Amino acid sequence: MDVGLNSGQLALRDSVRDVLRTECPPGVARQAMTDPECWRTVWKTVVDLGWTELAVPADGGEGSFGRVDLAVVLEECGAAIAPIPLLSSIGLAAGVLRAAGSAVDEVLAAIGGGVVAALAVHPPGSRLPGVPMTMQSGRLHGRAIAVAGLPRADLIVTLASSADGPVAAVVRVGDGVAVQSAECTNPAQPIADVEIDAEPVVTAPVDVESALATPLLAAAADLVGVADAALARSIEHAKSRQQFGKPIGGFQGIKHALADNYVAVERARSLTYAAAARLDDPATSPAAGWTAAALAKAAAAEAAVGCARTGVQVHGALGQTWEHDMHLYLRHAWQGAATLGDSRALYHAVGRRVAGGAA
Amino acid sequence: MTGANGVVAEFAAWLTEFLPDDYQDRYREYRWDLDLRRGYQRAAFEAGWLQPTWPREHGGRSLGLADAMEVRLEAAMRSAPKLPNIAGPGVAAPGIRQFGTAEQIDRLLIPLLRGDEWWALGMSEPEAGSDFASLRTRAVRDGDMFRVKGRKIWTTQAHLSRWCTLYARTDPDAPKHRGISCLILDLESPGVTIEPIRMASISDETFCEVILDDVEVPVANLLGPLNGGWQVAMSSLNHERQMIWIMNWVEIQRGLDSVQAAETADDDYASGEVFTELGSLLADAEALRATGYRSLHNELAGRPNPEADILKLLGSLTLQRVWELAAAAAGPRSIDDTDLLFERQDALAATIYGGTSEIQRNIIAERLLGLPKG
Repeated sequence: MDVGLNSGQLALRDSVRDVLRTECPPGVARQAMTDPECWRTVWKTVVDLGWTELAVPADGGEGSFGRVDLAVVLEECGAAIAPIPLLSSIGLAAGVLRAAGSAVDEVLAAIGGGVVAALAVHPPGSRLPGVPMTMQSGRLHGRAIAVAGLPRADLIVTLASSADGPVAAVVRVGDGVAVQSAECTNPAQPIADVEIDAEPVVTAPVDVESALATPLLAAAADLVGVADAALARSIEHAKSRQQFGKPIGGFQGIKHALADNYVAVERARSLTYAAAARLDDPATSPAAGWTAAALAKAAAAEAAVGCARTGVQVHGALGQTWEHDMHLYLRHAWQGAATLGDSRALYHAVGRRVAGGAA
Repeated sequence: MTGANGVVAEFAAWLTEFLPDDYQDRYREYRWDLDLRRGYQRAAFEAGWLQPTWPREHGGRSLGLADAMEVRLEAAMRSAPKLPNIAGPGVAAPGIRQFGTAEQIDRLLIPLLRGDEWWALGMSEPEAGSDFASLRTRAVRDGDMFRVKGRKIWTTQAHLSRWCTLYARTDPDAPKHRGISCLILDLESPGVTIEPIRMASISDETFCEVILDDVEVPVANLLGPLNGGWQVAMSSLNHERQMIWIMNWVEIQRGLDSVQAAETADDDYASGEVFTELGSLLADAEALRATGYRSLHNELAGRPNPEADILKLLGSLTLQRVWELAAAAAGPRSIDDTDLLFERQDALAATIYGGTSEIQRNIIAERLLGLPKG
């Protein structure tokens, strides 16, 4: 199995990186924390460049993108802590729809064209993502919490149980959809709870594990990017900040902490690209795909939170200020880590499956 | 791909033919069977599976790195017998192939690869462990001989070996990395005293102390350039850096199997703890495999592969955590499980040999992250 990037993917990565470096430096995320509309400028650029077209699955035809390409782009957006709903739209919401067959093609095309979508899969009281809604007599009903990107979304994708088994359902934000926004860890990426009692735009039967695998992978890619960027900032500081007459990066206490961060980042990155390749392989079973994506998400969240926390430590008092960027990485990492299953919950779920142990 | 699968299938069939029928079921006994392991090395040499990337006459079949990795993974997954003197084919042989004279290769390589002559690595000294370059053993030129005085320690299997790659200071005035040479020492030479050191665990990789009291080594036994010993050491140890993770990976797999085989505690909380750690270790094992592949992919594409430098650190740490979890999952039954005791003790060595974890972190920080030397 191949888990490396090909030259096309490397070129895609570099072009996304270059665009974000100029269009979306970290200060934009800080601005987005207090200015609820400023994300739209970057979003317009991203849509115009066609990045949202990655929502449409690879088997859609010539020139379409696979999950490795999706991961490449989302990783760069994570590294830029870009305050845009790209992960929520093309990674999470469209990720579920990839498992829902041709019935949702129009919705995927709309997301591909830049319509913002959010994924509601957190049932209240559960650490892991699941099926928060029910479908009965043509109406979608239920409540989901911590829906990433919802305050900016026009469409909600969710999972519902029905008499005929689980379905993916899409509703429009509007009548019968009560959005409850609140302050959150990372205001640059606002979340909201939602209560739905509405007729869906479309529903389609899905396998729940297959449906959640791509969102887990997408979240992993985003967090790998955050981890890598936070580590890069720490390294930069450790080389330039002098104490006791030499750069603090020369002390093993700092050096080894950053080396451990590097291991965590590369561990997560390898798992993420391996999971993407696995999910793109039609021979992969739903359970194997979910497991690979869940481990990638768990590892990426550990890396992101670890690198950002170490980053605060390495930056000392500076890292505790509003003006320094480190809290932006930390907020993004903490919020992402709690979305779609925290690392411990995901590890537990995988461990229990593999051990075949009883609950 | 079909090429690789064809080669792997051929190797798999050969391995099945070689191994006893009950090998998998009785691995815990066969792992100590030195005759089987010696026989395996000889047969692998003759069939070209010992070092698959090397040419036929050196125990290989000139495979590419990718095919060779698939063969090694297959060997690992089948728990193929461990070579009885890994320092020979794994470290000394690549050094001899790269730096040896025609005469040295001709005399030494085949008996080494067949396992007829064992090798020890004369590197560590009482005052030179991680700081290998500060070694003090002296080799002084005397006509067509070097006269060697000094003391080596933690020299694995020296008491069973015929030869030793002996690192000694040949230029005391040069900076410490540049005054070292590698000499091929015949351990039967007069003046060599070898004292085995009792190990804390059951082990067939016994350390020795090697005392060198005015030992004569012919100048013809210099391996590589005079005062070029540092490069010989680094290059020998780095040989197939890509492949080292496979050894850890297979032992991790065995540990994970052992965790799963342990009777799950009847307490939900306790088994939940085991599941969480198990999930994390499954991620480590898969990350090791995926990083090994990523790194190979980059190497074959002619790109830098810095990610390879995490393999030793991640692999060895994961191995230790796996066996600690196996012990936790076994509860008090871990106490009378002497196989488990061996695994736990053996895993503790993995973060020391081949460069300690602390040295690995320094390497990552200084070479990859660009942090200043301490």
